Amino acid sequence: MRVTENMRYSSVLNNLSSLSTRQAKAAAEAQTGLRVANPSDDPIAAADLARLSASQDQTTARRSTITTVRGDSELAESSLQQASDLFARAKEIATQGANGTLSASDRANLATQVKDLQQQLVGIANTKGSAGYLFGGSQTQNQPFTPAGAFSGDDEDHVVDIGNSTPTAVNASGAKAFTSAGGRDVFTDLDTLYTALSTNDAAGVSGTLTNLETSRAQITNEQAQVGAVINKLDASDSILSNLQLQTQKRGSAIGAADPATAYSNLTQLNDSLDRSVSVAKSILDLAAFKQL
Amino acid sequence: MASLSQLLNTARDALSAQSYGLNVTGDNISNASTPGYVRRVAELQTVNLGNQPAGSVTAAGLRRVTDDFTERRTYQANGSSSAAGSRDQTLASLESLFNDQSGTGLGNSLSAVYASFSALASNPTDATTRSNVLNAADTFATRVSSTASTIAQTRSDLKTQAQQTVDQVNQKAQDIAKLSLQIGIAESNGQDASALKDQRDQKLLDMSSLIDVHTFTDGQGQLVVQSAGTTLVEGGKASSLSLNVNSDGSLQLFANKAGGTSSEVTQFLTGGKLQGIFQSRDVDLFNVSKQLDQFVFDVGNAINQQHASGFGADGGTGRNLFDVSGSPDGAALNFKVSVDVWGHPDRVAAASSAFSVPGGSDNAVQISTMADRAVATNNTRTAAEAYGDLVGTVGSLKAGSARDVDTQGAIFKQVQTMQQSESGVSLDEEMVALTKYQNAYQAASKVLNVADQLMQELMTAIGR
Repeated sequence: MRVTENMRYSSVLNNLSSLSTRQAKAAAEAQTGLRVANPSDDPIAAADLARLSASQDQTTARRSTITTVRGDSELAESSLQQASDLFARAKEIATQGANGTLSASDRANLATQVKDLQQQLVGIANTKGSAGYLFGGSQTQNQPFTPAGAFSGDDEDHVVDIGNSTPTAVNASGAKAFTSAGGRDVFTDLDTLYTALSTNDAAGVSGTLTNLETSRAQITNEQAQVGAVINKLDASDSILSNLQLQTQKRGSAIGAADPATAYSNLTQLNDSLDRSVSVAKSILDLAAFKQL
Repeated sequence: MASLSQLLNTARDALSAQSYGLNVTGDNISNASTPGYVRRVAELQTVNLGNQPAGSVTAAGLRRVTDDFTERRTYQANGSSSAAGSRDQTLASLESLFNDQSGTGLGNSLSAVYASFSALASNPTDATTRSNVLNAADTFATRVSSTASTIAQTRSDLKTQAQQTVDQVNQKAQDIAKLSLQIGIAESNGQDASALKDQRDQKLLDMSSLIDVHTFTDGQGQLVVQSAGTTLVEGGKASSLSLNVNSDGSLQLFANKAGGTSSEVTQFLTGGKLQGIFQSRDVDLFNVSKQLDQFVFDVGNAINQQHASGFGADGGTGRNLFDVSGSPDGAALNFKVSVDVWGHPDRVAAASSAFSVPGGSDNAVQISTMADRAVATNNTRTAAEAYGDLVGTVGSLKAGSARDVDTQGAIFKQVQTMQQSESGVSLDEEMVALTKYQNAYQAASKVLNVADQLMQELMTAIGR
């Protein structure tokens, strides 16, 4: 085969440019740590990465939802705890008021205390969280309970997406905790106690004891429900955080360059490029007319 | 018996023949790096002087050292290589539209839409959360439509490029026909046409990077050039190609025949930049844009359907979140947030029933969990999966075209090496030729010198 000048030059040029291209790619891979910087680097991996990234975004959104709603759920739980304590106190008052030796003015004093409790209970039932009134069901914009204890809310669940197969309800039901929808209207029970005390009706006071206990149990029951929700949120969060880690690992496994391989590739190509440059020099020096 | 004057003639012929050789060598050396230059060899012939013992030499002319087969292979390889190159360029810009790794893809903005509904579910009455839903939807819609419009713009640019390429092909065809004419005239006048042939071959090579080029010599010794299945140049006559846009928006190539008729030759186009443009514009970009349309159509409608079934904070229902066109055609380009909800955060439908307004969040959860439901590709893929498929398609196309560029480029380089090996100038060889002619010239001078001396001696002897 005849070897001509142009062949020498173009072979030098071709080799250098193809090596430079590969070297630049290897350098980018070593620098960024990304094996799949463009979809064409590995189309299947790029498609997987797009899906993993969507799944990662979803997990992040769900975890942030959990963080947002957990505060309100905790607030609901502690509010229900307060309501339950309040009924424990009401029971004490009722026990005291049922004592036949008490005078009418003593009962009137106790009645004043019950009046206080009534006001407190309305305050508790109208607790406002970050997403509105906690116990109004879907009616979160307006106070669900009037000072007299009349309920204007509903028994709708506040559902969120935290990665379970079905939407998860995260609110405590004010209807079930405080109104007849849960069995007893707790405001009426307090009112009955108040009326009995203020009318000095010892037998009537004694008669409220059972209902007060039922009311307290009704509130505690709802408290337990929302406690379970909080546990569920925490469990979901730890599952999601685990999932996040796994997805991240899978993403790295698919799309990240192995640092050792990347670096050794780069070193190897740098060496080749050096060699190629010095070979190029000697090829270009090689010409008979220089010797003649 | 040879005369002294004959010896003088022989020496004269030798000097002129060797200097002809030196000239050819000089020509070769000076054109060593001229593109398209084919090395020449001086054809020296003995001149037979009948039964005389003294012969002579004459320069019969030049020979261009070229091989038709190699030349044809070069055109073909150049055509395939530049087709691959032009397609790869287009696909590289397409790929950059779907590069989620560098944050230019649609994936993140779609996830953000679902995430905004997840956030809305956790606090349906919050005005900021509602606005965020609209903003996320708008970002997604804008990304989608700008991706689609970039693809459309690229296709329109490619049409302009195709037109320019066709113009160039027509111009080259005319140049080649003109050169063929000149070559014919030069040769019929007994002149050397090597330089014209070099020029014509270079034009053919240039043309082969624009369109597929097939050449042969017909019965009358005329060069025939065929491209896209039609004869573009026949001897000194050139015909032309023209471009047309089909009703479906794809490009068509027509061959203009004598008499004003033309016939479509699109399907016979097999190489050159023009073929790369046709392939990337009307196959690759067309298909990707269709897949994007379908994806947007499916996902947009699924979200709309769920959204319309819910109730806004104002109690209204039946509103779409996005404007989606009636059919997948052009769905991506016209995709935007519906005017029914844009600017009215309270109309985002978080609740699933009128009585659960404003705190109800069921519908927001339904939309947010739609990310897990197969809503795309005939309800077989989730939105993220369908988008992943789209990224995979684009990546495969680009990876394939990059491989083509490598393969076809390597083949072209190989053929070019063959062509250079045959027709290129080797300076080493020319140096040897130079020395050879120089020595022969010196020797011929010596012959002249001897003849001259003999003549002198003869004169002196006679004169005494």
